[in-house]
Amino acid sequence: MISDYFFPQPAGGVESHIYQLSTKLIDRGHKVIIITHQYEGRTGVRYLTNGLKVYHVPFFVIYRETTMPTVFSFFPIFRNIVIREQIQIVHGHASLSSFCIEGILHARTMGLRTVFTDHSLFGFADAASILTNKLLKFCLSDVDHVICVSHTCKENTVLRASLDPLMVSVIPNAVVAENFQPLSYTPHSNYRVPGVPPDRRAVPPQIGPDDTITIVVISRLFYNKGTDLLIAAIPRILASHRNVRFVIAGSGPKAIDLEQMLERNVLQDKVEMLGSVRHEEVRDVMVRGQIYLHPSLTEAFGTVIVEAASCGLYVVCTRVGGIPEVLPQHMTTFAKPEEDDIVIATGKAIAALRSNKVRTDRFHDQVKMMYSWTDVAERTERVYKGICGDISQEEFYGRYYGQAWKASEDRVRSFALIDRLKRYYGCGVWAGKLFCLCVVIDYLIYVVLEMWFPRAKIDIARSWPKKLHSSGDKRFSISSRGHDRQNSGSSHH
Amino acid sequence: MPNRLLVRRPSPTTVSFTVSNASKRSTPSAKLLLVLQVICRILLFTCVLLVGFARLRHSLYGDEAFNLHWNAIWSSRIGAIACRIADTYNLAGIALVSALVIYGVFRRGHTEESLLVIRGLGIQTSTSSTSYLSKAATRFIPTTQIQDIVIHEAFKGFEVRFYLAVIVEGESDVVVVFPKLLPKRQILEEVWRGSRHCLYEAKS
Repeated sequence: MISDYFFPQPAGGVESHIYQLSTKLIDRGHKVIIITHQYEGRTGVRYLTNGLKVYHVPFFVIYRETTMPTVFSFFPIFRNIVIREQIQIVHGHASLSSFCIEGILHARTMGLRTVFTDHSLFGFADAASILTNKLLKFCLSDVDHVICVSHTCKENTVLRASLDPLMVSVIPNAVVAENFQPLSYTPHSNYRVPGVPPDRRAVPPQIGPDDTITIVVISRLFYNKGTDLLIAAIPRILASHRNVRFVIAGSGPKAIDLEQMLERNVLQDKVEMLGSVRHEEVRDVMVRGQIYLHPSLTEAFGTVIVEAASCGLYVVCTRVGGIPEVLPQHMTTFAKPEEDDIVIATGKAIAALRSNKVRTDRFHDQVKMMYSWTDVAERTERVYKGICGDISQEEFYGRYYGQAWKASEDRVRSFALIDRLKRYYGCGVWAGKLFCLCVVIDYLIYVVLEMWFPRAKIDIARSWPKKLHSSGDKRFSISSRGHDRQNSGSSHH
Repeated sequence: MPNRLLVRRPSPTTVSFTVSNASKRSTPSAKLLLVLQVICRILLFTCVLLVGFARLRHSLYGDEAFNLHWNAIWSSRIGAIACRIADTYNLAGIALVSALVIYGVFRRGHTEESLLVIRGLGIQTSTSSTSYLSKAATRFIPTTQIQDIVIHEAFKGFEVRFYLAVIVEGESDVVVVFPKLLPKRQILEEVWRGSRHCLYEAKS
């Protein structure tokens, strides 16, 4: 796993995705390490729960926790880590992370299989997007497989990087449902009890017409998260509905605008701002409300709405990106990403709750059935096996009888430099040549490194022992018992 | 030069681990080379001294200083060459070259680092200095202050290296054992096992 974004930075979807996926892959018998850049007071090598090893590489951070894109300077240390940990598959996360893009380039130079997971959507029009898309194309023209978190995201990525759609898999995010339980949740087993229809269960507390309904908003307050829409919609919603309160958690550059709006309209007693909350506290904030409002302008998946639904909240969200795929119809009300529609949709949601038509108490069990990290890990593992050749081509990509099979040969990406150059050359008139130059330089650096720091001289790190005996001294077990070494690299054979 | 580990157990409660990157010199030719090297160093050093004295022959001392017949020396062939060098080149040049030669003569070609563990007393780490003139840097940590001895990894230059460290009570930084050589994991594990065994295990 390689990405710029990892804990201890305040958790977003990417960080928890990487962490949960890694943990589950370790449970399935793989060895996983995470490479990320340094954070304040956190440099070097760290072990997390279950022997998940994190390398915080000392590099500069320039913007929103992204490192300086220095194409080649990361290579020596990357090569060292890859060799000492005996890595076979490099899995990069998040397209804006320069670590990820560089890591994939270097991994291909070193002859490793690569997977890329895209967590975000991008436009096609403005200058920044064009640049990012070019970079993505550079990175993805030689990657073995791409994973997207939703079908919309897949479409977007395929278009941006002109990929073969068969090379892109969709594996959604998941939530740890146990961490997002509604306030009054008792794990019932009504599916196992025969003869008792589910409706016989205790009827959930009804919401009367005059009861207060709390709307929760948890998001980082950035432009792309739709904070402007929120600012415009809040006074109108509060004006048209009595007994409605807002709880807003999160921080960001738009927090000031939000506060100004509250002061202008004197809504401080109806809107509570909590500032940024830690990921563990999100559930406690969520259960305070009945409706979750998600005004995001662009979202590849939106883990937070799954978490909200899992907490038993009715979800009002914008119909953008991958959001419509995430939750079934009965859990959500959709709105267009515009002020009027959000106000209308929220009104509808409030009305639906007041008439007690929505069984929010069942959301938790339903979400638990739909999203689990174990499932995500299984599907990711299948991708790993597919690119390593453990699963046959036909099975992995699906058999298409009508199609001439020779078209698929391109899917197995050979490591020969000339083949890689051909792929990069197709990226564009100027970009293609530039990318080729980068690849050639990268290859030369690799050759120099092989001579300068010979492979044989690099110490192989010991794997975390598979079965931990009692609770013993943690450090003791790192270095004294690393006998099972057959599980080297990310993949298990 | 690969690092070598030398373990000495002078008594059951004492172990000394020495890691060195010096070559072994087991073959006769290697031993001969060492002797030649030593002779070369001595000769170079005397040359520097001689030129130095030649430079100062008029000013500092009389003819009979140090019970030597200086006139006899200066009139010999080597003495004459030394005098010529001392007189033709300027002082700064001579001083610079002599300093460089002396540095080269006393420079240690290898590094030697050791860890001495004495049960009930503590451990002492030492790192040999770069020259033969200064002493090795040592650090003693009493048993009461040792919290633990661990092997960990860290970034060093373009690499990730293993290191053996002693966690000392009341200090924010750990004390790294073998900080210059940073030997391989295999050596570290042996040292780690041996030192822990000596420090703790025999007690229980």
